[in-house]
Amino acid sequence: MFIDQVTNAGALPVLERMLQFSARRQTLIQHNIANLSTSGFQPKDVSVEAFQAQLAGAVDARRKKFGGQRGELELGNSRQVTTDGPGSLRLNPVSSGRNVLFHDRNNRDAERLMQDLVENAGQFRVASDLLKSRMDLLRSAITERP
Amino acid sequence: MYNSLDIAVSGMVAQRTRLNTIAANLANQNTILDASGNPNPYQRRFTVFAPGDGNGGSGVHVQSIEINDAPPKLRWEPNSPFARPEGSPDAGYVYYPDIDPVTEQIDALEAQRAYEANVQAAEAAKSMMAQALSILA
Amino acid sequence: MNDPLGLINSGGFSPLDPLRGDRPSRPQGPGQTEGPGFADVLRENLAQVNKLQQDATTAIEDLQTGKRDDLETVLAATAKADNAFRMLLQVRNKVMDAYDEIKQIRV
Repeated sequence: MFIDQVTNAGALPVLERMLQFSARRQTLIQHNIANLSTSGFQPKDVSVEAFQAQLAGAVDARRKKFGGQRGELELGNSRQVTTDGPGSLRLNPVSSGRNVLFHDRNNRDAERLMQDLVENAGQFRVASDLLKSRMDLLRSAITERP
Repeated sequence: MYNSLDIAVSGMVAQRTRLNTIAANLANQNTILDASGNPNPYQRRFTVFAPGDGNGGSGVHVQSIEINDAPPKLRWEPNSPFARPEGSPDAGYVYYPDIDPVTEQIDALEAQRAYEANVQAAEAAKSMMAQALSILA
Repeated sequence: MNDPLGLINSGGFSPLDPLRGDRPSRPQGPGQTEGPGFADVLRENLAQVNKLQQDATTAIEDLQTGKRDDLETVLAATAKADNAFRMLLQVRNKVMDAYDEIKQIRV
């Protein structure tokens, strides 16, 4: 009961979920980059907007149920992102070809891939820094040391 | 998270193998003899990549290095000791490897670009690991 | 001059003559004359810090779910809310220390 208010306080659940998503997506993007020259390869990715919509639904449900400052975040499943609980997140990537098909039947788009890489790493960093600051604040409240 | 470094490194290794193949092609673009001294022109090699690391993981690996069996280039050198003898097809010509240095160099550029992209991916993975660690510290 | 405990010129009570009859006038209650008392100020600031923190939480969640994309505003709001909290915590610590000191005054 009160420990739960500390572990699920405020924005912590959302930040954890975004951290998991960015970390999993990073391996996807790296797989695509490693296969830039592989003939017949089709890059695969998950949609960030779809995941954010999924998160938004869960956040709204939590706000309605508990008032928005506490309570567990129930993410639910979508076609591309599935979960069995707060600690697990699975991605089901789909073909994300945005470029023309080359002669080796690979529709690579190196520049967009690098952009995805940087943006995803940035998203991870933002979530991780915010998570750290929330944890620090909780710790300073608990230890009464500002 | 450690296997994301594996993925980037597998990409780098694959691109380097490709670059080595290209370097071998360029070095041998005028090799008309084989190892035992017979007129058998060098044949262009090329790498075939496949996704995965051979064990079901992510990344890329060199599936095989194939030999391109295109017909050799002909050069009219009737006085060369390696010219095709009289009576055989292409008499008076010498067989040279069918390697175009321009194509090879453009492939080398592409391999280099892909290598750099993989290096960037490895850097991003490293910095994300450091970020994740800093949540605790 | 503010005199919440009514020690100065209070109904004739003189510190030099404790046996005079008049009792000192009652200490002024919070909010009775000049402005709010400390408890009111504390309560109001507590509510304000709470609101700042809740707004920061909502801003962070909206940033992560894509409802807003102004990272710098969210970061600034979060930093302000955290500073306000830390300030309040420090004030609370000082008040607790002061109370501990007062507790130890031998009467």
